[in-house]
Amino acid sequence: MQPIVSTQDLTKVYGHGATAVHALRGINLAIQPGEFVAVMGPSGCGKSTLLHLIGGLDRPTSGKVMIEGEDLTRLNDDQVTALRRRKMGFVFQFFNLIPVLNALENAALPMILDGMRPNEAYQRAREWLERVGLGPRLTHRPSELSGGEQQRVAIARALASEPSIILADEPTGNLDSRASEEIAMLLRQISSEWGRTILLVTHDPRIAAYADRIVFLKDGQIVDETIMESRNGDEVSAVVGKMKEIGD
Amino acid sequence: MSVRNAILGLLSQRNRYGYELLQAFQAMAGGRETWDLKPAQIYTTLLRLKESGLIAEDETCSSELPEKRRYAITAAGREELKRWFETPVRVEPQRDEFFLKLMLALATGQADPRRLIYIQRASLFQELHRLSTLRMELDPSTSLAHILLLDQAVMHLEADLRWLDMIEARLEEVRKQPIPEPEHRPRGRPQKIAK
Amino acid sequence: MNLYIKLALRYLSGRKLRTALTTLAILFGVLVIFGMNTFMPTFVQAFQTQMMAVAGQIDVTITHKTGEAFDPGVLEKVRQVEGVKVATGSLERLINLPADYFDHAPNLPDRVNAVLLKGIDPDLARQMIVFNVVEGRFLQPDDPSAAVITRSLAREVGVGVGDTLSLPTAIGIADLKIVGLLPERALPGNEEVLVTLAEAQRLLNMPGKINLIDINLDTLEEARRAEIQQRILTAVGDAYKIGALESGSEILTNIRNAQMIFNLMGFLALLMGGFIIFNTFRTIVAERRRDIGMLRALGANRATIRGLILTEGLIQGVVGTVAGLVFGYLFGWLLLQLIVPVGQQYLNIKVGLPAVSPSLVLVSSIMGIGVTVLAGLLPAQSAARVTPLEALRPSVGQVSLKRLTGFSFWSGVVLMVLGVAILISGQAAWLGIGAIFFVGALILMAPALINPIAVLFGNLLALLFARQGTAQLAEGNLSRQPGRATVTASTTMIAMAVVIMMASVLSSVTLTFIHVLEKSLGSDFLIMPPTVAVWGSNTGAAPELAQKLREIPGVELVSTLRFAGSQMNGVAVGLLGVDPRAYRQLDALSFSAGDPESAYRALENERAIIINGVLAAAAGIHLGDEITLLTPTGQQVYRVVGIATDYLNAKTTTGYISQQNLAVDFGRNEDVFYQVNLKSGADQAAVEAAITQLLKSYPQFKLFSGKRYVEENKRLLDVVLLSMYAMAAFLAIPSLIAMVNTLAIGVIERTREIGMLRAVGATRRQIRTVILSEALILSAIGTSFGILAGLYMGYMAVKAFEGMGFPMMYLFPASGILAAIAIGILFGALAATVPARQAARLNVVEALRYE
Ligand SMILES: Nc1ncnc2c1ncn2[C@@H]1O[C@H](COP(=O)(O)OP(=O)(O)O)[C@@H](O)[C@H]1O
Ligand SMILES: [Mg+2]
Repeated sequence: MQPIVSTQDLTKVYGHGATAVHALRGINLAIQPGEFVAVMGPSGCGKSTLLHLIGGLDRPTSGKVMIEGEDLTRLNDDQVTALRRRKMGFVFQFFNLIPVLNALENAALPMILDGMRPNEAYQRAREWLERVGLGPRLTHRPSELSGGEQQRVAIARALASEPSIILADEPTGNLDSRASEEIAMLLRQISSEWGRTILLVTHDPRIAAYADRIVFLKDGQIVDETIMESRNGDEVSAVVGKMKEIGD
Repeated sequence: MSVRNAILGLLSQRNRYGYELLQAFQAMAGGRETWDLKPAQIYTTLLRLKESGLIAEDETCSSELPEKRRYAITAAGREELKRWFETPVRVEPQRDEFFLKLMLALATGQADPRRLIYIQRASLFQELHRLSTLRMELDPSTSLAHILLLDQAVMHLEADLRWLDMIEARLEEVRKQPIPEPEHRPRGRPQKIAK
Repeated sequence: MNLYIKLALRYLSGRKLRTALTTLAILFGVLVIFGMNTFMPTFVQAFQTQMMAVAGQIDVTITHKTGEAFDPGVLEKVRQVEGVKVATGSLERLINLPADYFDHAPNLPDRVNAVLLKGIDPDLARQMIVFNVVEGRFLQPDDPSAAVITRSLAREVGVGVGDTLSLPTAIGIADLKIVGLLPERALPGNEEVLVTLAEAQRLLNMPGKINLIDINLDTLEEARRAEIQQRILTAVGDAYKIGALESGSEILTNIRNAQMIFNLMGFLALLMGGFIIFNTFRTIVAERRRDIGMLRALGANRATIRGLILTEGLIQGVVGTVAGLVFGYLFGWLLLQLIVPVGQQYLNIKVGLPAVSPSLVLVSSIMGIGVTVLAGLLPAQSAARVTPLEALRPSVGQVSLKRLTGFSFWSGVVLMVLGVAILISGQAAWLGIGAIFFVGALILMAPALINPIAVLFGNLLALLFARQGTAQLAEGNLSRQPGRATVTASTTMIAMAVVIMMASVLSSVTLTFIHVLEKSLGSDFLIMPPTVAVWGSNTGAAPELAQKLREIPGVELVSTLRFAGSQMNGVAVGLLGVDPRAYRQLDALSFSAGDPESAYRALENERAIIINGVLAAAAGIHLGDEITLLTPTGQQVYRVVGIATDYLNAKTTTGYISQQNLAVDFGRNEDVFYQVNLKSGADQAAVEAAITQLLKSYPQFKLFSGKRYVEENKRLLDVVLLSMYAMAAFLAIPSLIAMVNTLAIGVIERTREIGMLRAVGATRRQIRTVILSEALILSAIGTSFGILAGLYMGYMAVKAFEGMGFPMMYLFPASGILAAIAIGILFGALAATVPARQAARLNVVEALRYE
């Protein structure tokens, strides 16, 4: 099966010379359709950088990012933008929403940017907002919504355009534990019930525990990986095998 | 200790049969998976309570079988229960097996401490994932008590995971420091340092 | 609704005050351009209406290109052209009436300022125009001293059929008997007094001449009419033109010059508007980096972002332009109301409503909207370059700013060198570009200079606010944000530059004019016609009057001016006939080229001409050139022997030739202006009495003492200058608005930081002082740069005026600089008050939460 996302020897260096920061050092990662992957690691280990490169928000120093078989690094800005619009949904920690647009308009934004007819875009946005439990908040501006509600709008927005993958960078970083839990559960639901592929960056183990697979990042490298037993048998045995390898 | 006090508490509600007490305890403690109590443990506890005069057997419907006997709380029992409610629960100081493993790995060099951490972490995450899944299946409008109990476990796991992160981050530093050894103490009274 | 428009409207309404201020800037630019251009054509039209006869139902009117009278022989040529049905010659002349001529009541406004005396052939004229006599009878072919007037004129003057109407004419007061009345005039314009042609020729002292041929054609078909017109023109020769008399066309040139200057000012205002827009949009883009980054992350491409920012600009441009058009119209109307009294007093005209032409609306709109969009272009471009990452990481791209600062500094230095080089080279044509270079250089250099200058002024302020230690903070804020500081300071700079430039120009103009005024009109007595600007419309007096003046005991010298209109290379020229010797004695001309002595001699002995600077510049003539003047009898070649200016004609294209030549070539020998000098020791009062006595029969003239006239003119000049200063202030206002705007934005942007300061224990007072210090430092920087730029631009403007032919002396605008400094400090403080209060009132918790 072709992975939704795969990276090959992905590296990213910020700055140069003495002040160069090696944010990523050769990342090889593949995400299968329907998988819910969490990336964990201490702050500054390169989690966000990885997400940005996969999302085509930044360009790698070397290595490749393949989205459904298409090499992102070979596309120009407009092509990457169009790809982002159609194949990716983003949820960030802060500044997720455009402050002057209401929830419905925010959720419909990527589709409108993609040239969909506004009526259809709003219809789809409304459906998704209702599914994430924001039916009664459609016309509220972001400033009138709680942090958790804002993230829900962002999630609805990410879902509405039916992207291939949802990229979330610390979506709960700004929320209290109860709201965090709810968002994490929502993501879990999106994965299990609606079959979406999710790449979630977090440093909160409680949130990461909802994922099917956890990738541990340290100093720009993948140091460990855990596949949850509930996912399926072969993968569990695969991970056991892997653990053995690490041990040897 | 807590089983004993729980029995006192359940009997203070109303008089109960032995089997009834077992079921009530398990329901309250969060189900069989959470606290699997053997019937024998209940009956020995009941026996001891009766001997200390904290409960009494209901003579009107006495039976041979312990589960068919009916018990009631005595005044002394109520007194004891009140005391229990008013003293805080003491938390046992950490006596952690993983810690021992890690120390031994460091001291003996027989295993890679980092690998220990990864294996432990994977296991903790599996458990966390299991509990999270369990928790998602519960309906907060009816099973909140259970959810809260799960939360406690989740938080303990979370704390353990954070602790592992901390160990991982500071592993190199720990390595550089001497492994704790028993102090070489001379026998007899410690000498006073003359001044 | 379109996404662009929706977002733009939401963002705009989110910052109402700023949107209003920015839109105001555009509004202002459009207002000036549109207002001025609605006002000017109305003014010109009123002017022309007054100068022209109303054509009636006449198909074609032929006049001489100079506007002068000609021989009736031409009429025969016209009659022979195939297709001409009727052609009739007439002689008409506008007679300007002295103040209070009819009503004798100085405190009531005059309702009749001038009448058009029209000599016609009664029979032929009736074939062309149906004269609908409502009372009495029409003129008859031989009808001396008879006149037909309109009922409205009759009512104004208070006469009826059978009464006598007295008019000042070239041969003194003429009494005309009213024989008939025509209906009231439907169209605005001057009242006509119809007399027979022979009578008109007598009254105007132009025997056997006509100055107008009216023609009716035998067809209504457009193509054929054009063809006939062409044939007529060929028949009469190229000294004639189709169209009514345009006497006073030389002042039209002048008005067009003024219109150009106003357009320039409007454009300047619009540029400033553009600058303000630019500055606002830069801030907007900086403020919204995160939003823009987020949009980019969500899949908006660069073109979309560019479109968003430009849409916002477009909306403001459209709103500002529309409002500018409305207010511009009001402004034009207001100006007209102000100008009406002046117009009546000095130019003897009446003015209607502002004129709005579709093309003017179009041009103003294009300029207003165009400038906004252009100004938004660069910020939009930089917005398009915002990467999606900037939504997620705040601190990217600071390194490039530093590099940019260095780059812009050195380009600024290059521009500055170029600007100064141009100034030194003195090439008038390049001065405008030089000024742009200079201002551009200052703007480019500003970011690099902000730091040291901020430190300097910061230290100064530190002395002032020594106890609070806040000046350093303000200074630190500025040098941390050189980009924003530059924008604010350069806005102030432009405002100040405008003030200083205007001050330079105005003080130089004042100096020059007073100088020329005293020289030109320094004689003992002046005898002046009703209007001194439009010579052609004055009724002069035959040479006898000058002769009689000379005979008055005590009079030493009488110098007169005569007038004829002419054309040279298509430029209308007012020709003044002078008596070279007398004029030389008066020494009224200030020469800028040529030697007075030889020039006056040449005037006496040959076809020589002294031209004024405006004419030299307008027609591109140099000393020693031979120029061809159009005269009623054909073309004549004159040699330019000097370039010189007198006060009265400084602004109009004028040439001076001898009265002898004027009589020969233009057939004019009536004096329109007299200057009288007395013998030393003469009895001033006696002479004045004698002159007054003489002028009784020439009521079109007024007697002034030279000194009094100069005084009066100085006062008038002061009023004009005051209004010009008001104009300068007007131009400076939008820049000051922009400064308040940028400062306020600065405070909004730093809300969080201010909250932090408050949280760590800064008092409200200290916060206020920080903001105030910052504003003062900024305005100090802006003002000092503005003074530099203004000095350059002022000098350039004076040079440019010189290049346009006005005699100019440069005066260093010391008072203007003081005013600029005062304004700078005042507005710096004023600009800071609102934001400072806002900042001081901030709720600490709110501020810290501000994102
Ligand atoms: N634009 C940048 N310029 C320089 N260094 C950067 C930039 N962005 C991130 N870094 C560095 O790269 C490393 C990884 O950052 P990041 O991916 O944000 O970490 P995480 O999200 O895991 O906390 C950090 O050391 C960070 O300082
Ligand atoms: Mg991060």
